[in-house]
Amino acid sequence: MLEQFMMGLGVVMQPSVLVYALAGVVIGQLIGVLPGIGAITAISLLLPITFHLDATSSIILLAGIYYGSQYGGSIASILLNLPGTPSSVVTCLEGYPMAQKGRAGLALFIAAFSSFIGGMIGVALVVAAAIPMASIALRFGAAEYAMLVVLGLIAASLIGTGSQLRSFAMVLVGIALGLVGADTTTGFYRFVGMPELADGISLVSLAMGLFGVSEIIRSVNSEAPRQTKIAVSMRDILPTRAEFKEITGPILRGAGIGSFFGALPGTGAAIASFMAYAVEKRVSRRPGEFGTGHLPGIAAPESSNNAAAQTSFIPTLTLGVPGDAVMALMIGALVLNGVIPGPRLMVDQPTLFWGVIASFFIGNLILLLINIPLIRLWVLLLRIPYRKLYPVIIIMICVGVYSHRTSVVDVVLTLGFGILGYLLKNVRFEPAPILLGFVLGPLFEENFRRAMLLNGGDFTVFATRPISGTLLACTVALLVYSLASGLAARRRARRAATPS
Amino acid sequence: MSHPDPIPTMPRSVPGLFQRVLGGGLVLTLGAVMLVIARDYPMGRLYDMGPGFVPVWTGVALCLMGLAILIADLRPQPDLAMPGLHWRGLIFVSASILAFAGLIQPAGLVPAMFAAVAISKFGDSTNRVLPILIYAALAALGGWALFLVALELPIRAFWR
Repeated sequence: MLEQFMMGLGVVMQPSVLVYALAGVVIGQLIGVLPGIGAITAISLLLPITFHLDATSSIILLAGIYYGSQYGGSIASILLNLPGTPSSVVTCLEGYPMAQKGRAGLALFIAAFSSFIGGMIGVALVVAAAIPMASIALRFGAAEYAMLVVLGLIAASLIGTGSQLRSFAMVLVGIALGLVGADTTTGFYRFVGMPELADGISLVSLAMGLFGVSEIIRSVNSEAPRQTKIAVSMRDILPTRAEFKEITGPILRGAGIGSFFGALPGTGAAIASFMAYAVEKRVSRRPGEFGTGHLPGIAAPESSNNAAAQTSFIPTLTLGVPGDAVMALMIGALVLNGVIPGPRLMVDQPTLFWGVIASFFIGNLILLLINIPLIRLWVLLLRIPYRKLYPVIIIMICVGVYSHRTSVVDVVLTLGFGILGYLLKNVRFEPAPILLGFVLGPLFEENFRRAMLLNGGDFTVFATRPISGTLLACTVALLVYSLASGLAARRRARRAATPS
Repeated sequence: MSHPDPIPTMPRSVPGLFQRVLGGGLVLTLGAVMLVIARDYPMGRLYDMGPGFVPVWTGVALCLMGLAILIADLRPQPDLAMPGLHWRGLIFVSASILAFAGLIQPAGLVPAMFAAVAISKFGDSTNRVLPILIYAALAALGGWALFLVALELPIRAFWR
């Protein structure tokens, strides 16, 4: 395991590869800082460009953008109270009050430090889990894949912040969109309508529409918020020994929670950071201090979302099952480069597999080193008004989508998905589960149909095979738990409403 | 950088009931449309499913979800107020992307980028004509340098 990791380090340390790791994390940090442009937009923009790179450099670049954005997201949260990424929403809660007290430097340092430790723990887990996971994955048949996808889709709908009913409806919309095109088993055309859609809807077009275009529509004519003067005093950025002691536990707990939710398909960095914050609040001996600039409230979620960003690669690389929308794009990038992710990847392409994992290690080191020195640059960037930026984002989206399949229809569809995403958000539907359903849907259909074919239409196969049965049990447990806790919350609310 | 419009461009008082059924109705309609299109797709048998099996059941599930959301939303809730539509953004972003789609093949990348940027800039009500044209020209130049010179994307720069 260490031997392979060392080989991977050898791959990354080649200057021609190291350049992409560096570029990835810097771009990632940049888009993490800028509110309104997330990792999904940036990765889908760069997806067509990766045609010109080899598969290893492509994934190293795109992965760097993803975990780099987790570092950058906390900067705008702390300085402006504007979360740069969904997973840094909770960082605002403690980070901004600290900045108001003139302790922004310390908050930024703690965020970067916690991110680094969390990320490193995540990388260590990826290295440790890779070989055992791949050997389990080799025993995965159609039934196991189908159940794993079901677990992921159910987890994505149940765990999270919004309404579970609405999330599940969006997962179904994603599955429906994924059905467009030729059926993989029989070649039968479904929901096609025009020849350009025979290969199905492009992932790039869907992602750019739902996340890029819809956001631009919403913000085009909106007045930029009065920029409060961003004061970053770089004095006292290092925590005292007592403060270090205070954040050690939260960082480790956060990393543990993040690693779990990262590796579980269907949940990712955003959910991990919310969970870590909630747990800290519950275990704290001084819960009253949360919301006033309490250090553990920055350390735990920042450690958690970075650990999750790393461990989310475990199911992606070893099983070929993406856990969230960003991982879906990673798989898209691998497939575009002719590499099929899954249990054979480690054996067939060891330099790619271990090179990418070693790049996480190097990338996190680079991020820790550049984070604090670059803060003044990011603060300058945060001053650019949105109306100067969005036309550029529009042409990047257009060119990115068009060059992907040289298709005008794709560009028009991107606009359609943008309007759809905009309208859905207006009636309180979150677009992220659509992308997950879109990617996991075809995977589910193929494996479900194969499992039923192999077992003569007998549903019990999903329960009787050991791995599949375990996954089914997890899914059922998750459903029962969330139903029970929902009922308990309702009962508590009713008791609070009726005076006794 | 998404914040609600300071001046809503549409009256916020859409009839309450209409507003409440919109979300569930949308999902229900989608499911129904799917079922109508997929009505003739071969279903196959459980041990040998046809290409219609998953689409039909997805459609059924969408209809059920739509109904469930409808019923849940019918109870009046305080946080259901729908934000006003951003008409300016919708119109100018749409026009900009459609202009790009229309120009890219007959006219080439540079004119398409110029038109897309210029049209989208008009979406921001504080802009005037000359600065917009200068900005669009600069953006097209930058796009040409990035996409065609640096990244060497296989797209024509101009018509021929």
